[in-house]
Amino acid sequence: MSDNAESPTETQKDDPSIQHAATEQTGASDEKKKIDVLLKAVGDAPIMKTKKWSVERGRTVQSLAQFISRFLKLEASEQLFIYVNQSFAPSPDQEVGVLFECFGSDGKLVLHYCKSQAWG
Amino acid sequence: MHLGIFKITYNRTATHFMDDCFVNLGEEMAGERNPASCYLDERTFQLCCQLFLQHSETIQDGWSWEQIKGTDEGFMKKTVLMPVKPSVLHKQHEYSIQDENMVTDDIQANVEDETAGVQAVCEIHAVLRYEYHVLYSCSYQIPVLYFRASTLDGRPLSLEEVWSNVHPNYRQRLQQGPWDTLTQQEHPLLGQPFFMLHPCRTEEFMKPALDLAQAENKRMNYIVTWLSVVGPVLRLDVPLSYSTEVSAPD
Repeated sequence: MSDNAESPTETQKDDPSIQHAATEQTGASDEKKKIDVLLKAVGDAPIMKTKKWSVERGRTVQSLAQFISRFLKLEASEQLFIYVNQSFAPSPDQEVGVLFECFGSDGKLVLHYCKSQAWG
Repeated sequence: MHLGIFKITYNRTATHFMDDCFVNLGEEMAGERNPASCYLDERTFQLCCQLFLQHSETIQDGWSWEQIKGTDEGFMKKTVLMPVKPSVLHKQHEYSIQDENMVTDDIQANVEDETAGVQAVCEIHAVLRYEYHVLYSCSYQIPVLYFRASTLDGRPLSLEEVWSNVHPNYRQRLQQGPWDTLTQQEHPLLGQPFFMLHPCRTEEFMKPALDLAQAENKRMNYIVTWLSVVGPVLRLDVPLSYSTEVSAPD
């Protein structure tokens, strides 16, 4: 992932393991390597303009959280929390592919996210 | 969505209370649709723990309930042996990291049975013993995570060493926070020195999950959700099966 990413497109270019998922695709052709993730904001978390992403199975939750934080331009002091199955926080080291196997339905993994307040 | 910020009001006095940390969105909104409260009464805490422990038993996850004799208070406890990079431990202690990691014939005779299984990792990593306790805090009305950490030969870790072992996903933000997230505390029930993860920010990660569950008309087990967030901060793994196999108390 590039630290200089200013926009989703740039992030995408530098980060082939997380890409926009085509809206019509069910992800069948990539099912071996990538899974479809649907990101839903909770609370007063900013809503991502692009909610559906194709993510490599081996990507960790921590890495995905960092991607989302950068995408949303969160401050360093803001923590992102990710939930699977609505109310369970997967370990940051957990692979999204495993989460998809456990909690995926209709060809996608729904993840909810929220953020903490910044300091001060 | 109506967002209100209120000071907590209790009918009884609450000790050590950080007004700036806490907002209570549950109790003040009478007449409107009540957002889910982040607070937990002790009875519900115990019920959630019981359900949690049943699953732990099923998957042999190592948790147990410790009841304080003569009271109706208790807590959940789990001990873990954890291999870590030697850099977690400070090198300025009397013995060197290398000595600690080498398993020689002399030392093997003194190694307890429980560490026999980790001798292979001893040579590459240091092995730490973490003991986690899940307690109920009457003053905060939420669960709190206490823990103590030591090397295999019983040397307690310093606060700095404990910080070195906080998961990188959280470490920077927690360390830079305006209050002490990790503090040394006397264990409220055992009276021994433990570390405590300050419960101050519990609401900010519990509230979204509680609201979500309420919106979907799903009941969740508070302890499962709470521990799934705080556990990994301190390298405590909570297997995914807790998410689906543990029910909420009635």
